[in-house]
Amino acid sequence: MSPVVSVTGLRKRYRRRDPWAVDGVTFEVEAGQAFGLLGPNGAGKTSVVKMIAGLMRPDGGSISLFGSNPGDPKARTELGFAPEDPDFPKFLRADEVLDYFASLLGLSDAERSRRVPETLAFAGLDAEKRQVRQFSKGMKQRLGIAQAILGRPKLLVLDEPTADLDPIGRRDVRALIERLKESGVAVLLNSHLLSEVERVCDTVAILARGKVLKEGTMAEVVPEGSNLEEVFVQLIEANQPQRDHLPSFISDTQAHE
Amino acid sequence: MSGAVAVARYTLIELSRRRVLLVFLVIGAVGIALLGIGLKVLYQVLASNPGSAGANVDPAALDSFLELLFVSYLFQAVSIFGLLIAYGIGMTAIYHDLESGTAVSIFSKPVSRLAFSAGKVVAAVVALVAIVGILAVEARIVMLLFGGGLENALTGQVAAVVANVVVIMLIVLALSAWMNNILAAVVAFIYYNVVSGLITTIHLLADSGVLGNAIVKSTFDVLYWLVPHQLVSGAVRELAERQLALANGPVDSQTLASIPAASGWGDIAWWAFTVVFFATFLYWAVRRRQV
Repeated sequence: MSPVVSVTGLRKRYRRRDPWAVDGVTFEVEAGQAFGLLGPNGAGKTSVVKMIAGLMRPDGGSISLFGSNPGDPKARTELGFAPEDPDFPKFLRADEVLDYFASLLGLSDAERSRRVPETLAFAGLDAEKRQVRQFSKGMKQRLGIAQAILGRPKLLVLDEPTADLDPIGRRDVRALIERLKESGVAVLLNSHLLSEVERVCDTVAILARGKVLKEGTMAEVVPEGSNLEEVFVQLIEANQPQRDHLPSFISDTQAHE
Repeated sequence: MSGAVAVARYTLIELSRRRVLLVFLVIGAVGIALLGIGLKVLYQVLASNPGSAGANVDPAALDSFLELLFVSYLFQAVSIFGLLIAYGIGMTAIYHDLESGTAVSIFSKPVSRLAFSAGKVVAAVVALVAIVGILAVEARIVMLLFGGGLENALTGQVAAVVANVVVIMLIVLALSAWMNNILAAVVAFIYYNVVSGLITTIHLLADSGVLGNAIVKSTFDVLYWLVPHQLVSGAVRELAERQLALANGPVDSQTLASIPAASGWGDIAWWAFTVVFFATFLYWAVRRRQV
């Protein structure tokens, strides 16, 4: 089976004097697979997914999205991307935002009229009549996921999808991922919530400072009797300088007591 | 193509809900109505007062005078509001999409940056023409209060104002894809109104022989074709002719020569080139933008 997305030796840096934000990342995601991209803050996860979504140009390496370059708009026809901290035209309502994005996906009038209300209902925004500028972060995140699935994608990229969601929203996203996997959709999940990743992902890659430290199936990465969080912490701490966990003025206060 | 239409459609919906543009439109519309009605009422009061200077004036001449006054004020008002609206649209139409996470969601869809840029430009121009058009239609209706005869002058001037502010708007749109939108507006103002204005003025002075230095003349001949040219309608000269005729003064060519003539085809072609140039610049800025 040919991979839905294939990333080879991907490199990116934002300024010449900066270190590589992404440094030689290689992985593949196949249809029906949920792939977790993990790493501490600044590991390069968002840079990787933005390059896959054609939002940024790599400085080295290559990406094949459905066999094409993600910079080609046609390659993104079957891609759904829910960005971290999503935002939308702030004077539009949720239904207008979805209709706008459905138009960008090239859906017909009839298909838009069918999909937009159903997607709004899924996101719990069907009764919402306010403009986006009055939305909470959680509502924007729901709308972000809604617009990502609107085009019935074959690859769904979720960048921190549950960060601002309540427990019900998290459960819905988990159920969505499971349902999509069953129907053959590939899911690329970028998340800090390791318990979530452990529950839904088949394969994970752990990144730090732009490099893949470990990659494999969940069984390969997480040994028997351990969990993903333990593996993650050990791996990251072994690959970066040790930090004092508390500032000295806090430690001093504790000592005085 | 459908992507550009969708971008244009929803950008127009967004612009129609922006309060700042609505405020400009309302202030402009109320101002024009008050100006026309106020002038009419004021001069009718004067004309009906036996002791006033206006009482002995022929009513037709008074109406012509009122219309001249109204239109000359209107020209200034349309220029100012056109400029404000151009800045209002130029500073917001693209900047907010690029600075918020909106562009991330849009550009991950199968829409090209060219379609996005084209949709934004079309929406911005349509919004600008619509708002200035509404003010122009209202002005023509207010002109019915007077004798009439300057309708074509108004149309010509509005067309020139729209053409000029479209260029400014495109510059602001393009710059706002690079930098903060307030900074973009300031840079556009300095470039279009200060630098280009200065070059055009010195070029005119050198051309008319006021500045005799050959090097200055040659330099500004070159510089003149590196900056946008403001289009001028025949309305200003028509207004001057009417004023002279009303005052029974001689309509001599020397007096009229000091008033800029309507822009010729060369200037119009240069305007079209600058529009294409700045629209291309905008596309290039959007294309290289990583979100």
